Amino acid sequence: MEEFDNNEIGRLLRLKRYEQPPPGYFENFLHEFHRRQRDELLRQPLWKIALGRAQDFMMSLNVARIASYPVAVTAVLLCAAVISLKIYQTTPAPNVARLSPIVPAQQTTEGGWSLAAPVSTRITVSQPRTHLSTHRTTTPPRYVLDSMPVSYESSLRF
Amino acid sequence: MRWFLIPFLAVALSARAEDQPASAISHEVKDIFDHCKRAVVKIHGADEHSELSGTGFFIDPTGTIYTAYSVGGEGSNFTIEFDGKRLPARQLVTDVRSGIAILKVDAASPSLPVGKSENMEVTTPVIAIGYPLDLPETPSLGLIGGFDRKYLGYYFHTTHLRVNVATQRGEAGAPLLNMKGEVVGIVAFTLENNSSCYALPIEAAEKIRSDFLRFGEVRHGWIGANLMQALDTKAGSSAEVTEILDNTPAANCGIHPGDILLQVGRREIHQPDDIIDASFFISAGDNVPITVMRGDERLTFNAQAELHPTTEQVQRIQRLQHPLMIAQPGTNQPSLPLSLEKAPERTP
Amino acid sequence: MDQLRTDEDQQLVARTQDGNAGAFDQLVVKYTPRLYGLVYNMTSNHEDTNDLLQDIFSKAYKSIRGFRGKSSFYTWIHSIAVNMTLNFLKKRGRRFHLSLDDVDASVQNDKEFLEVTQTSSPVREADLSELQRRLNEAMMKLSDEHRAVVTMFHIQGMPHAEISKILNVSEGTVRSRLFYANRQLQNYLDEFRKNPVT
Repeated sequence: MEEFDNNEIGRLLRLKRYEQPPPGYFENFLHEFHRRQRDELLRQPLWKIALGRAQDFMMSLNVARIASYPVAVTAVLLCAAVISLKIYQTTPAPNVARLSPIVPAQQTTEGGWSLAAPVSTRITVSQPRTHLSTHRTTTPPRYVLDSMPVSYESSLRF
Repeated sequence: MRWFLIPFLAVALSARAEDQPASAISHEVKDIFDHCKRAVVKIHGADEHSELSGTGFFIDPTGTIYTAYSVGGEGSNFTIEFDGKRLPARQLVTDVRSGIAILKVDAASPSLPVGKSENMEVTTPVIAIGYPLDLPETPSLGLIGGFDRKYLGYYFHTTHLRVNVATQRGEAGAPLLNMKGEVVGIVAFTLENNSSCYALPIEAAEKIRSDFLRFGEVRHGWIGANLMQALDTKAGSSAEVTEILDNTPAANCGIHPGDILLQVGRREIHQPDDIIDASFFISAGDNVPITVMRGDERLTFNAQAELHPTTEQVQRIQRLQHPLMIAQPGTNQPSLPLSLEKAPERTP
Repeated sequence: MDQLRTDEDQQLVARTQDGNAGAFDQLVVKYTPRLYGLVYNMTSNHEDTNDLLQDIFSKAYKSIRGFRGKSSFYTWIHSIAVNMTLNFLKKRGRRFHLSLDDVDASVQNDKEFLEVTQTSSPVREADLSELQRRLNEAMMKLSDEHRAVVTMFHIQGMPHAEISKILNVSEGTVRSRLFYANRQLQNYLDEFRKNPVT
């Protein structure tokens, strides 16, 4: 009786390449990745986001050795001091609404928070971040702005 | 006795003069935003992946909406937010080559006047109005950074405006306005961390709409020749025809490989990528005069453009998938072969 | 072609390290199908694969600043993928269920599929889809490490040298794991051949 040899095993295994995810899976993957990145960022404590940004800033100055934790922490403390001062100042609500990742939006069932609200009612560093149980239950839509054109030519022809 | 006030008045006036440019810009932008924002709409839809959200704007008073193909090109169940209401919208025409989708709602609408992107220059200020994320309509002020035909080694199908204006997700399809409040472009896609973007020039969108009005569908034209940079410049052009494809208008009209292109239709050619815009604005069926240098001889040929092979393939697929979405040729308006030597006729 | 791939990856990595998130997106788009195959064939579960892929790219994005280019990006991301999948499998243990993807219809045009079904071989006498199912079961019976090398060598088509870099073991180790795994798979399929379930 014939037995399976290495070649047969190899051939059968190579056919497993055709086991593919549902159509559109790969096309949607990047959108899903972005969505998870945003969710992760919103779940991070503010100090960690600020630390990361301070480190990124130091790295951008090409001073990798100086981008150590003590320096980054000092930078974060300085930024926190500046932010604290600003919080006690009255500022008008901005005309241009922009989503800032450092000040994540949270919604409560009482309908309290929104980014259109004046600065003084926005989430600050001092507020606890434990209200995620009231995080929105529906998945937000994909906000469209691609980073590549939908179509292009590889050569000049007409 | 009041003469002592004069110095104070002079100081006050000079201070006011210093504030004027900044406040003038702010007022201008605010005026344009207040005037135009009502014609800018948020678009909701769904595709096979998820629900989606983008921006569009009314281009005429009968509810016709321009948006980016990435928003309105491949989805369904479209609705728009307008005047506090949610209205259903249907796809009128989509064109992946230009990157535009045109939707329609059955409602009277305000509309943005159409400007000319060819009047823009590098550093011309522009305003985008879009719906970033889940936020309300938002203006962004920026500058034209360039006019590009190429991006990351690939050619656009028509010159795109590169704009140094911050754009956020959800703003694909946003109108780009000049300082007269006229729309000159449509935000297509972003680059470099959303700090700048590319916009489709409004003339390209108008060409697509014009094709739809004339033929009931988009008809990108095709001549059938490939080009490259010539070693020498002849008569001010370095665009050399390198290949003529068989059974194409180029083959039939008499152009040869080695000919140096000087003019295609109404557009002068000086370098190979000048063909990009010359080609984009040709519609299938147009009679296209093509002027070349062959040796020392200046010759003009007439080619009748055919349907661009890519457009044909896409339309074949679209007809199979959505037989009612795109008008069948011959069943709607009759096509009008157009000579580019006279002004284009439009069907009513 | 490999050099082209490496050059392109290097540019995208450099741009990502400069803060261009769009460049990383391009790496994601480029490597998702390949890494999907690797992780899926190690886990035999589509949902777990999806979650793992998200975690793999998330980790890669967070650590890309520290990527110094000592290995190619290809090797680096594959290492992350294999290690994270092995860790996941250890935690998952035996509590799993197969969640297999459908076989794409284009298999009908595959040269090897045609050879396998048309030439004289044990396969011609068995239902191929049943055989594939048994093969998946046999794969799950291998240890996680053996399944990893079988996936990379047979399914992904990687050479021994590349696998050894990814797993950070010697080529000899890769070859001996493959030898052992092949034998295990042969034994299991032979058993099926002799005692097919009706």
